[in-house]
Amino acid sequence: MPDLSKLSEAILKGDVKTAVEITKEALAAKVDPQEILDKYMIPAMDEVGRKFECNELFVPELLLTARVMKSALELVRPLLAASGAEPAGRVVIGTVKGDLHDIGKNLVASMLEGGGFEVTDLGVDVSPEKFVESAKSKNANLIAMSALLTTTMPSMKSVIAELNKQGVRGQVKVIIGGAPVTQQYADEIGADGYSDNANGAVGLARTLIKK
Amino acid sequence: MNGRERILALLNGGRPDTLPLMPITMMFAADLLEIPYRRYATDYRTLVEGQMRTAEQFDFDYVSCISDPARETADCGGIIQYYDNQPPAIDESQALLADKSALVSLTIPDPHGGGRMHDRVQAAALFKERAGSSKLIEGWIEGPCALAADLRGINTLMLDFFDDPGFVRDLFAFAVEVALRFARAQVAAGADIIGVGDAAASLAGPRFYEEYIFPAEKKLIDGLHDLGTRVRLHICGDTRPILKNISKLGCAIVDLDWMIPIHQARREMGTGQVVLGNVDPVRVLRNGTPETVTAAIAECHRQAGKAYIVGAGCEVTRDTPKENLRALTAYAREHEP
Repeated sequence: MPDLSKLSEAILKGDVKTAVEITKEALAAKVDPQEILDKYMIPAMDEVGRKFECNELFVPELLLTARVMKSALELVRPLLAASGAEPAGRVVIGTVKGDLHDIGKNLVASMLEGGGFEVTDLGVDVSPEKFVESAKSKNANLIAMSALLTTTMPSMKSVIAELNKQGVRGQVKVIIGGAPVTQQYADEIGADGYSDNANGAVGLARTLIKK
Repeated sequence: MNGRERILALLNGGRPDTLPLMPITMMFAADLLEIPYRRYATDYRTLVEGQMRTAEQFDFDYVSCISDPARETADCGGIIQYYDNQPPAIDESQALLADKSALVSLTIPDPHGGGRMHDRVQAAALFKERAGSSKLIEGWIEGPCALAADLRGINTLMLDFFDDPGFVRDLFAFAVEVALRFARAQVAAGADIIGVGDAAASLAGPRFYEEYIFPAEKKLIDGLHDLGTRVRLHICGDTRPILKNISKLGCAIVDLDWMIPIHQARREMGTGQVVLGNVDPVRVLRNGTPETVTAAIAECHRQAGKAYIVGAGCEVTRDTPKENLRALTAYAREHEP
């Protein structure tokens, strides 16, 4: 039985090799994959998020830890799926139409994934129709949108309009973020939430999905 | 004093008659001409006309060649996505240096070679013709971290710091060479000051900034000084963890984005560093009123002290109410440093 606290440490240090080794050993020792995720992986990423928010870690470290988390998750996720375990939530995320900026969106996607969410990343330049179709096909309970430009922000409103048009607004929460985006704008367009950082987005997603 | 004299007086340690005023405008200036932004970013005559009209209408002290971050990357051979009415953008999914080995065969683009860099050099020359000595003429280049991110892809570059430090150093060295060659052409054409946009530098954190980005920026800025020009450094985002190092670069002007308390910047950088900013361009300048803009800029001035230039934290957004921008101008014109 491996010392699973070392898995948390490996995630925090960005050590892929150790994280993968310990995860493999734990699974071989029949440790419950849900326990590995809930007790060791998610708390490690929560700690990464906290440190990021406090300016103790920065974008490179966050991307590195997310890469480690992803490698370990790839081992755990098929077993979770096979056991019928439900993720913390199902999220469809993307940068809105006309906007190619993705680092903020990627940080949020990584942190959500590290927080136990099932994340479908649609990439950049995503049309309102694609957001809504993906949310429907993935049975998502959250859409997360990012924009870096004031010129592309209105596309967020179009996504909400499309959700209304297709009669599914009540089934999915919407959160938004990006440099020019504000809480005021979120309120104006009828989004359910706004966060100015990746860690905050995870907390927001958890709160909204529990409602 | 005219605008050029006013800014130079401050930068040379003299006493300007009022606070200098240097907000960044791009899409706002294009909208003033009622033309699609694509034209502004691809035709230097239109850019110059937009800047001149903005500077005249709002009494700015300078005009700028800035338009988008994709000029150098376009001339290096990168894939650029053009839009009708917003800035050209770099498509990271097709990054020029997705394969690192391509760096060795990449050549420094010729800023007079008829590409997008040449268009900017022509803008500097036309500014010289039209603004002469009345407005300070600002050239613009990508800083080493920004250009590296443009060429490699920002997500990938952030991991390269861990995975391949030698490649990062080589890439930054290439970026500095591109930047210096581009700046030399703009200075020769008439630019009085070179703006260095190094947005990605605020993302890397203090450790990588100190180890990789600072040395590259220092080399660039020393090189710009050797050209006989001045430097305005513009790093978007939260630069608080790296301000102390930024103050060692020797820039004539350091822009501060809106989230940085100016008193903290002053403490980190000393009283002599000229700082520019930093009204929130969205929450205050666009969404506020002339009264809230005036109150915000007065607070910036109070915290900054004498070595201070009025401006927003980043680009003045296209839908900023004109009366709000006029409030910024009025504050500058009614106050001395």
